[in-house]
Amino acid sequence: MRSEDDRLSQTFAALANTTRRAILARLAEGEATVNELAEPFNMTLPAISKHIKVLERAGLITQGQKAQYRPCTIDAAPLQEVSTWTEQYRHIWEERFDRMDDYINQLNQKEQDHE
Amino acid sequence: MSDSTVSEDAIVIERVFDAPTDIVWGMWTEPDHFKNWYGPQGFSIPLAEIELTVGGKRMVCMESPDGTMKMCTTGEHLEVTPTSRLVYTESMADADGNVMPMGEGNPGRTEVTVILEDVDGRTKMVLTHAGVPADSPGATGWNQAFDKLTDYVGTVVKG
Repeated sequence: MRSEDDRLSQTFAALANTTRRAILARLAEGEATVNELAEPFNMTLPAISKHIKVLERAGLITQGQKAQYRPCTIDAAPLQEVSTWTEQYRHIWEERFDRMDDYINQLNQKEQDHE
Repeated sequence: MSDSTVSEDAIVIERVFDAPTDIVWGMWTEPDHFKNWYGPQGFSIPLAEIELTVGGKRMVCMESPDGTMKMCTTGEHLEVTPTSRLVYTESMADADGNVMPMGEGNPGRTEVTVILEDVDGRTKMVLTHAGVPADSPGATGWNQAFDKLTDYVGTVVKG
């Protein structure tokens, strides 16, 4: 369960960025090289490469090893996992309860300080 | 009864908190406590109206840090059994509390059940969230990010 949560967190973190979502949207139409991906953005190649690395680590895209162009392709599996409402809301509730836990601990601490 | 909502269309989460049940109950029922944990990170909760009776209103509004995004939900309490069981409905709403239409074949209404149990001075909490339609605009910012993604995931999978 833990590792599943971690993987989901990684997917969510990778998706929590407009540039990276735009890259995915572009790749949903077909594979593209880093140069092609960089075109619509006012960004340097190294900056785009950084985003691609994040997406790659999250398993959302793969980059070809052969040929000098090394085209990127999208991998929909992690997206499917987070596209169901139950997974989205599970994540939301888990975060809420983390905060509730923190808040309760703060209250407990305050109470101890008063004693 | 508590098992009946466990299905593919429900989320069940169990947690243990280091506090007695009345404190955890207050987290859900007292606006001042509720506002401290409910919103997405960084969001404020300008409104948390919690009328704690059966049939009583429950309306919550969340606002993004820059104030550009405001989301509200409204519903009513179905069960109120202090410190052990709370059930309420939830629908997306505008700032005046009018339920927003969700389209045909979409209930647009979800049900949240919170069950608290004392375990040696700590509280075991079981949350069940049932019946959220897959394509509803959600109660948090995540869904905005996913609106487009969900659309094209289908395309990618098929293609």
